[in-house]
Parts: sequence; C-alpha cells; structure tokens
Amino acid sequence: MGRPSEYWNPKNETLSRDDLRRLQHLKLTRMCEWAYAKSAFHRRRWDAASFHPDQLHTLDDLKRIPFMTRAEWMAAQAEAPPFGPLLTIPPDHAIRYHTTSGTTGRTPLRVLDSAKDWEWISEMWAYGLWGFGLRQTDVVLFAFSYGTFIGFWGAHYACEKIGCLVLSTGSATTESRVRSIIDMGVTTVCSTPTYALRMWQVAAEMGIDLARDSTVDKVVVSGEPAGSIPAVKRQLETAWGAKVGDTAGMTEVGSIMIFECRRQPGGTHIIEDHFIEETLEYEGDRAVPYGDRAERVVTSFGRGFIPLIRYRTNDLVVKLPHTTCDCGRTGDIYQGGIQGRWDDMKLVRGTNVYPRAVESIVRECAAVDEFQILLTRAGVADEICVRVELKPGRHDHWDDLCRRLQGDLADAHEGLRFKVEQAAANSLPRFELKAKRLVDQRPVAAYPAGGHHA
Amino acid sequence: MPERDLLGRPVTKMETELAHIYGELKALAKRDDLPPCAERNVKKALACMWQVVNDLDLEFEQLYDLGV
Repeated sequence: MGRPSEYWNPKNETLSRDDLRRLQHLKLTRMCEWAYAKSAFHRRRWDAASFHPDQLHTLDDLKRIPFMTRAEWMAAQAEAPPFGPLLTIPPDHAIRYHTTSGTTGRTPLRVLDSAKDWEWISEMWAYGLWGFGLRQTDVVLFAFSYGTFIGFWGAHYACEKIGCLVLSTGSATTESRVRSIIDMGVTTVCSTPTYALRMWQVAAEMGIDLARDSTVDKVVVSGEPAGSIPAVKRQLETAWGAKVGDTAGMTEVGSIMIFECRRQPGGTHIIEDHFIEETLEYEGDRAVPYGDRAERVVTSFGRGFIPLIRYRTNDLVVKLPHTTCDCGRTGDIYQGGIQGRWDDMKLVRGTNVYPRAVESIVRECAAVDEFQILLTRAGVADEICVRVELKPGRHDHWDDLCRRLQGDLADAHEGLRFKVEQAAANSLPRFELKAKRLVDQRPVAAYPAGGHHA
Repeated sequence: MPERDLLGRPVTKMETELAHIYGELKALAKRDDLPPCAERNVKKALACMWQVVNDLDLEFEQLYDLGV
C-alpha cells in the first residue's frame, strides 16, 4: 500500500469534468428509469409534463425534467399519510425513519432508508470527513441529540467507518460534553456552529480554555450557514484553537452534498459523482454563471427509496470552479457554503436584509456573546433592531461598539438605519440545533412579497 | 466480471477482485437457505460493497429486491 490518500475516493474526486458529466448522465438515466418505474409520484408528475427517461440523450436533457418542490412533497404526504406515493418500494424494506428538523413549524418531511441507502448516507459523510482530515486515530465527540432529525447521524457512522473512536453524547448537558472533551482526549467535535460557540462559552464559565486545555484540532460544523461566515469561523478557530470545517446536507438527501477540504478554500466542494447540483435563478429555470448568486437545485444518486430529482432547495449559493482550490478535487465549490435561504431575505423599508449578512457584521465584534434581529412595525414604518448580549467584562466599550455596529450595518444595507440595543446577560435564547436569531413581529398580511415568516 | 467500468475504462486487477466479491455477495443474498446470522450479515456486507462498486464506477443499480 502506498502513501495514504488525501481523498476518500481518489478515482472519482479527481475525475475530469468531462468524465464527471458522462458519469452523471449515466446515473441520472438509471435513477430516472427507476423512479419512473417504481414511484407513482414521479410517474404522475412526469407524465403530466410529457417527460420520459428515454428523452435523456445527454446531460443537457436534464432540463426536460420538471422541478420537484417541498410543497409537492408535503401535499403527497398529506394525500396518503404518512409517506405519500413517493416511495419506490414498500416501507417494510426500510431500516431507518427520519424527518426534517421541524424548526420552521411546518409538518416535517418523512423519509425512509434501506440498508444500502443508509450505508450510502455515511459514505457521503466519509468523503467530507476524510477530506477535512479525520483519520482512524481521531477521537470524535458528537454534540447532537440523536433524535428523528437526521442531523449528524450519518457523520457518526462515517466516523465508525473511518475507524475513529466515537463519543455519542446524546442528551448530555453542555458541561458534561465539555468535561468529556477534556477527559477523553477528544480531537474532533461535530456540532452546529452556534453550539460550538456555546460549548466554548460554557467551558470558559467552568474555567476551561478549550484552545489551551483541550486536544481538539478539528471542529466540523453543519446545520447553519454560519459555518462559512469568515467572522464566525475566525472566532470559532480562535476559541477552540482548531481548524473549523463546514459541511451542509439536507434530510431530503439524507446526507451532505458539500464539504470543506483541509485546504479551507473559503468554500465547500460538491460531491459531484453522487449529485448533480444545478445553480439556477431563484424560482426560475435559467442557469446562473459561476460567481453569481443562485438557487441550488439538487439531484441525488443516493437514496433510491425516495428519489430526489431536480429538487428546488431554496438555498442561496454562489458556485465557483473547482480550480479555486488547489487540493486537486475536480468537484466545483460553493463559495462560503450555503449562504442562506432565499426566503430568509426580509424587505425592510425597501432594502433587502439577509440574516447572514447581519451576522457577518455582528460577529466581527469580539465582545458580542449572542445577538438577535428583531423586526417590528411602528405605524406604517418597519423598524429593525439588533439586540446584542455582551461577553462578561466587555461592557466598558458599549458606546463605541454600538456606534460601530450601526455604521457598519447601515453601510452594508444602503444606509438603512438599524437600532442597536444592549440585551441583559443570558436574556437571549441559546440554540443547540438550527439557530433562529431573526424574529419578525410585523403583521404577516402586509407583506405578500418576500414575507415568508418562518 | 466486467473488463471495463461504467465509463468504458479498463478495470484494474484490484477492481476486478472487488467486483467479484460484490457478485458473490449478491448471489448469497438471493439464497433462502442461510441461517439468520449469515443472511443478515451477508446483506449488511452487500450494502457496504455496493458503496465500493458505486464509488469506483463499477456498477450502479438498486438492491431492494434483495432486501438491501
């Protein structure tokens, strides 16, 4: 055996772009044939759109396939609960049941996986975790609740596959997790970016400096856009004294589609031998060139139980060519990972406000412990307020901090006036899973456009 | 065993051996005379080998009819 590979799958992670497209065409054709033959949901929609898998002569014919949306999926579930006519085989072939997180308050999507599908889910995580540098000698702690939300389940099994020692902390308290990190010589922590910050805060309260006192050298984050926000990443890397690697997945896929390699190119590689990731204009069908903001539309070659073909994700991304990174992978890159959701955008007095953009500015201030964006309406005018909780002992410079935040936020938002308030210590909510730092208290009916109130 | 992968490239000796194991596991998974300890572990092993032949572009198919 030669030198250990930097790639989980050297053959395909360095495949030429032409060969990648040929492979995607072959897998797309087979997956569509399978879906058409076995899933009433897909057959019905494709028949209505006069699409048949026989029409897939080249990869460009992908655009003949009608888009699949979350709304259609939910309607299908409601039509024949609990799973709807999406399944290609009877539910008794499944070994796993999972759901979306339900953080939006909507009915969760329900998914099933067979043994092969479940193994594939951990395989995708293995691409990412290996690519970020995890090896057999690593001791990995999962700060994850292990419920029906799919979250880090696949990552857990990927670490077992790689040969790591895995600590599944389930319902443990944050203090207990911090103690395990120290006592067990943990080298890698997997959590949301928000919770990684939380663990660091709690450790500090316990008198533990994770950068100094722990052996953690890698933090793998997922579940929120913050993992690729430079200010958040910088803060986490300083706090933990470790490299922070971003990943992103979705329950509808079952696993991750993208991961940050150890070269940390400022973005995440797409696993293109297992997915087609189209970048299209938001809610449209026009392809968007490299470097422009787009909505990602995903086709997965993994889970055959519920085929996911041209699924509109609502995720805001900017695709860059693979040559942006010098790691040798030929999978293209999403600059800054998943940058948010298109429907996260709020319209405030005619100006577009994205929570990620606000977070990027707020997290530049090292004194900020936690924050919240509050949207209200005073008479006919919208108001936007950023409520800021400061770290202990950092209250002396509030006036300067407040002025700086107001200035930076206004500069980044066409002069929009932001109110900045100091919140009392520990008064803002903390999150373990997907953080919800934007609270929109404006009347819903008044905002038909851009007014998706999660 | 296939002499070329899904993209038409010649397969290596190592890939031929892996594809052979995959084929053997599929054949075992079809049998109905295995004791539970063999049947379930063969299927678990087949789920893993599917990843190998899929990752290496040796095969791309569904295995649900074999209970995998």
